Amino acid sequence: MKLQDQSVWVDEKDLTQDPIFIEQAQAEVHPMSLESVLEDERSSQVESNRRDFLKLLGFGLGAATLASCEVPIKRAIPYTVRPDEIVPGIANYYASTFISGGDVLPVLVKTREGRPIKIEGNSKASWTGGGTSARAQASVLSLYDYNRVQEPATVSGDKIEKLSWADLDKSLMDSFATGAKVRILSHTIVSPTTKKAIAEFTAKYTNTKHICYDPVSSAALLDAAQKCFGERVIPDYKFDQAELIVSFNADFLGTWISPVEYAAQYAKNRTVHAENPKMSRHVQVESHMSLTGSNADNRILVKPSEQSAAIAHLATALGISSVPSLSLNDKAKSALSKLADQLKASAGKSLVVCGNNNLGDQILCFNINQALGNIGKTVSTARASFQRQGSDSDLIGLVKEMQSNQVDVLIVWHANPCFDTPLAKDFSTAMTSVKTRVSFNALMDETASMCTHLAPDHHYLESWSDAEAKRGLYSLVQPTINPLFNTRQAPHSLLVWSASPNINGDSEQAYYDYLRANWTQNILPKAAGASWDLCLHDGVCELPASGTAASFNPSLTEAAAALSKPAGTELELSFTESVGIGAGQYSNNPWLMELADPINRTVWGNYLAVPIKFDGDRRFIAFAEVNENGEMVDLTLAGVKTTIGAVKQFGQMEGTVSIPLGYGRTKAGVCGSDIGTDFFPSLKIENGYVQYYLTDVQVSNSSGKIEKNFACVQHHHTLGVTAVETSTGKTINADEAALVDDAFKPLTKGYQGSLTKRSVLRQTNLKDIKESLEHLQEERKEFQKLNSYTLYPGHEYKYNSGHHWGMHIDLNACIGCGSCAVACMAENNVPVVGKREVSRHHEMTWLRIDRYFYGDVEKPNVVYQPMMCQHCNNAPCENVCPVNATNHSSEGLNQMAYNRCVGTRYCANNCPYKVRRFNWYDFTAADLFPINQHNLNKETDKPYYAENLIRMVLNPDVTVRSRGVIEKCSFCIQRIQEGKLNAKKAERSLNDSDVKTACQTACPTGAITFGDMNNKEGVLTKKLENPLNYIVLEEVNVQSVVNYTMKVNNRDENLYA
Amino acid sequence: MSVVVSPVRRPLVEGHKTYHQITEDLCAPTERAPSKSWIIAFIISVATLAYGVFCILWTIWMGTGTWNLNRTIGWGYDITNFVWWIGIGHAGTLISAILMLFRQRWRTGVNRAAEAMTIFAVICAALFPMIHVGRIWVVYYFFPYPNTRGPLWPNFNSPLLWDVFAISTYFSVSLLFWYTGLVPDFATIRNRATGFRKKVYNFLSFGWTGSAKHWQRWESLSLVLAGLSTPLVLSVHTIVSFDFATSVIPGWHTTIFPPYFVAGAIFSGFAMVQTLMVITRKILQLEEYITIEHIESMNKVILVTGTIVGVAYLTELFIAWYSGYVYEQFAFFNRAMGVYWWSYFGMMACNVISPQIFWVKKFRRSVFVTFFMSIFVNIGMWFERFVIIATTLARDYLPSSWSYYIPTWVEIGIFIGTIGLFFTFYMIFTRVAPVVAIAEVKHILKAGGDQYIGENAVHHHHDEHHHSETSHH
Repeated sequence: MKLQDQSVWVDEKDLTQDPIFIEQAQAEVHPMSLESVLEDERSSQVESNRRDFLKLLGFGLGAATLASCEVPIKRAIPYTVRPDEIVPGIANYYASTFISGGDVLPVLVKTREGRPIKIEGNSKASWTGGGTSARAQASVLSLYDYNRVQEPATVSGDKIEKLSWADLDKSLMDSFATGAKVRILSHTIVSPTTKKAIAEFTAKYTNTKHICYDPVSSAALLDAAQKCFGERVIPDYKFDQAELIVSFNADFLGTWISPVEYAAQYAKNRTVHAENPKMSRHVQVESHMSLTGSNADNRILVKPSEQSAAIAHLATALGISSVPSLSLNDKAKSALSKLADQLKASAGKSLVVCGNNNLGDQILCFNINQALGNIGKTVSTARASFQRQGSDSDLIGLVKEMQSNQVDVLIVWHANPCFDTPLAKDFSTAMTSVKTRVSFNALMDETASMCTHLAPDHHYLESWSDAEAKRGLYSLVQPTINPLFNTRQAPHSLLVWSASPNINGDSEQAYYDYLRANWTQNILPKAAGASWDLCLHDGVCELPASGTAASFNPSLTEAAAALSKPAGTELELSFTESVGIGAGQYSNNPWLMELADPINRTVWGNYLAVPIKFDGDRRFIAFAEVNENGEMVDLTLAGVKTTIGAVKQFGQMEGTVSIPLGYGRTKAGVCGSDIGTDFFPSLKIENGYVQYYLTDVQVSNSSGKIEKNFACVQHHHTLGVTAVETSTGKTINADEAALVDDAFKPLTKGYQGSLTKRSVLRQTNLKDIKESLEHLQEERKEFQKLNSYTLYPGHEYKYNSGHHWGMHIDLNACIGCGSCAVACMAENNVPVVGKREVSRHHEMTWLRIDRYFYGDVEKPNVVYQPMMCQHCNNAPCENVCPVNATNHSSEGLNQMAYNRCVGTRYCANNCPYKVRRFNWYDFTAADLFPINQHNLNKETDKPYYAENLIRMVLNPDVTVRSRGVIEKCSFCIQRIQEGKLNAKKAERSLNDSDVKTACQTACPTGAITFGDMNNKEGVLTKKLENPLNYIVLEEVNVQSVVNYTMKVNNRDENLYA
Repeated sequence: MSVVVSPVRRPLVEGHKTYHQITEDLCAPTERAPSKSWIIAFIISVATLAYGVFCILWTIWMGTGTWNLNRTIGWGYDITNFVWWIGIGHAGTLISAILMLFRQRWRTGVNRAAEAMTIFAVICAALFPMIHVGRIWVVYYFFPYPNTRGPLWPNFNSPLLWDVFAISTYFSVSLLFWYTGLVPDFATIRNRATGFRKKVYNFLSFGWTGSAKHWQRWESLSLVLAGLSTPLVLSVHTIVSFDFATSVIPGWHTTIFPPYFVAGAIFSGFAMVQTLMVITRKILQLEEYITIEHIESMNKVILVTGTIVGVAYLTELFIAWYSGYVYEQFAFFNRAMGVYWWSYFGMMACNVISPQIFWVKKFRRSVFVTFFMSIFVNIGMWFERFVIIATTLARDYLPSSWSYYIPTWVEIGIFIGTIGLFFTFYMIFTRVAPVVAIAEVKHILKAGGDQYIGENAVHHHHDEHHHSETSHH
């Protein structure tokens, strides 16, 4: 009745504002009061007075109770005319493509009530197989970023003047009209239709040039391909067809070109079957520990400036002539010679890739592949990739042009050259000489803030577009929400400015028409049986591979000239790209900022990785006297001094250090600004290519002071790192010795076995797999025997009827990329908490990826272990909760009743896996106490999560937790419920494809399998039969339902002999 | 009453006290104006308490995030302090219940203060389970009351729920016991008071007349309550230890915990009684009632319980090694030699090693040594709980999740605040009630007065004309 106040109507009388009705409704209680009834003289004459009294009393009480229950309703707007495809409470999925520069992934966008809330992989895309990256997963949050440029505007100095698109167009058309010299500057553009628009613009304004660069450049690779294959493209690599993979500094699982695609291929040959143990071997040649290097079986350590020498050495060993000999460290030399023999043995079934931005290195690598017969097999150009197109020399040329005042109009297209190039400083200065500077950028970033006109582009989730990531593999981008702000698609703007006849200004969806017309004319005719609707539905349109094998031109003379010479300096530094925030393009996305670096596990900042070694006695000693992670050192790069936090890095080559790029942005919105340090200005350009290493490097000894709020989610990094004790010559577990406090150091080498004997991590070498398997099964048998003893026989709950949910994680498939961790955050409304809170170990992640180093201290191997609630059948958290807030479902799920939780944290203490998370503050702004809400970084107005726009990303199927309660992985119970309902509606039993957890669908390598353990036909049941499986901490008898597969490496010790 | 006292027993009341003199001496602190030192001490206590209250409000208002606990270490100062305070309470119950059942006459000198200490300590302790939760506004979910949520009951399997029952029972029985003892003494004060004070004490003494029937019922009730309290001495800390013992965390999951916790509780309780008594007897000039004999007796208890605790520590180490269970072995290795080694060694030094000086009679009977030892033991027992809680949690099964914990100013503030709370209560207590039980001291005068036994006795205990002396007024 009282809903009238909130402008929400429940029936027609509400809507028509009938005055009588309103009066009655607002009276709340019937006008006849108890007193008036009692005072009414007639009432004494009525026989049933007492009953009326009780009735009225009852009504009065009831009415008062009802009135007091009323909760104010905010912004509940029903559909007057419901759109056909939207049913409240039911999610819709639209196929689209995540595009951010050269990062391209076909995806499905989950929308609820018209809001995109989650990104899933598109399994229809043959080349990704439906995997996703952390960046794609997090992209949905960027849509709701309130720091986006929201309107067209002109900028002069600090003054931003908003204006209409028509006015902006008019003012810009004037600058174009006079035959001005226009330069369009973008990162890689993979959209054929966008390119068509650019072409139209260029045709209209003939003095226009489109310049393309990549923040982390692959220009040398492209140029090498031009020389060797006659085409400037990224060749198609087939990691799944290689038995032996050699990577020279290419982080192909983390950041290089197309990591999701490569990871999916790579994992195919890395999963091991106990009966027929076979897997590829992966050798990484690098100085720093990259994500890819961490997954390698063997790492050959060479300094960054020795990369050319290493490649040349391998080439020579493979019999390629006229390759200059360059000095190389002996260990690498001997290892590479042996590697050459192995490569020869796997000719045609090997793959050598190179991430160096050096023309000589790249040409030599093509030659190596050619010599091995890999071209056409594991390396080809038929399905060449367009995911990197940038040219360093074009960018350098542009700066020169601007410096000599030759450019009239500069259009910046999602590029941020004032930050993400080594020429940033020159660029900013030279840019001021350009009269008209237009920005399509989403943020008022370092470059946009120097522009004169802002013409903000849509987010990709608001756009119509397309992509051709690889030759013939098209995908479409379709909008999943109306533009949130007054933005316009960049190619649309170009078409308007070029007054293209192909764009219909009066059309409601002008750019859609343009896109569709282009497809109908140019793309669909090539695809047999494809229609626009089908392509839009599937999201992809895949043409058969075409093109003939190009003849191979060795170009060895060019290569020899371009090889870099080993510097011979004491210390070298390599710059790396962050798996999360890239080269800074993703800085304003807090999901990525708080995604722990897979290798050093830090968040919200970049740190100098310094090498670590064993002192031969009891301690690890790190370079520059860094005792604790996060200690500050002075880093001097070519004379420029910066003070920065350092982390001790296993696997970092002695005599080298490394640092991620992309941090230190100054204008990246509330979450991206002033985090870490920018090292782009230190990058050098050699032979026209940006070099991601430096040889003029000095690092001072640690000042002993730890960076303020240094945040690292993992304090202990090893599980059995071995080293030789000098005094006895015996190999000891060095990390176990190092666990002893300094006070006892002289007395003991620690409790040897304290880490390695834990049933947390099980790993073996491929050749030892039989013995390890026997040992594992013996041990598990013993555990199970012990676990079978009970004080209360006959009380075991078997979960043998209905569903019993379980999970399997293949440690051999997991590469540690973190897309599952971000997917989990997106799916389950898991908050990020900011640097300070993570530094206090208050992070809220339901799913984390534990990373352990093991094996020899100088050449350790790495294992990634995704860790989430293990949904123990005998859950220790459940029996200790005083209020039954956590309990077990009949389907074997360990569930949380947030409303019941008082927050004693007893369950978290008693969890052997430490996966329970406590809401120390009101991290998601769920409560009414603003004082408990929490700033992530630089918010001035209100905390990040308190912004209504940001809150649109919340998954409505998952409760937003308030302060003071525990939360943890629920096995995506909302997805289970949805799957069950779908199966029920279809009147069939539930099958595997009905329920997939967010982490499972996000994983590019299929490492995670969720399912019903009672479904004997299911995929999970099959995976659970793998004899290599184990349960973490099985002997504790908590009866976890998550099975892990033993990590098997294919390390060849002989390489180091 | 005929009393037979062994010739080796030393007097428990010195100064040839008459019954009237006892009344005068023990009522005096409640009747005279507070001394300057009392006032200063009281101001300090209240100020500390106020700071504690501020820190508690800060926690509730700002969130549990103001504490430095984290995803790995869910309990730190909060539960350490809880267990510490609960432990301290145990001496009072032991003295008043078990020593009463064992007819230990020396208990009369210290039982009143010790029982008061129990109650105040339990109040301090009970605060922590309440404020350490994330949502204090629903803390009533702990209690099993009929409700409209199903009804939804608490989880009777949870040791935390057992704590709720254990502590509330403990508090009620202790309060009852303490007050029962106070009734005749309040009547004594009432008889001497005038005006408003007389009215108040009249109310507090429930109309006690001192009739034989009153005494008989009072004796019976005391005995019944002693009987009720005796299992509590053992059960409360046993249940507190279950918080840890029933878990699966190595270092917590130990069957030795119940006896070890009880011994530790008595140990720390006696230490706190010593701390209080040494100060109280000096300031209130009660040296003739709380004699070196009392101090020595309690030091003996400290020596015994300290040694029991020490044996327990060593047993833990042995069992950890003997178990062959890597997690257990590492947990104890880590306690002694890991990052928190200093707290382990603090615990060992204060709890096991230092009390051994009480084998020497001279030290047992030294007020100075006793005072410092009592402080040591209190520190040591605090460390013990910190070791058990924080050290264990900091490094458990999964090395990836290991962490480190140091408290924030808020957590330290709350701890200091409870000390303020405790002393505020205690100082008020010394002003309103006789710190030594008047009736009970009179009761043992014939068996413990130095005019009757010991070297300075003027009457031999077998003197016939004293046989019929029973009146206490």
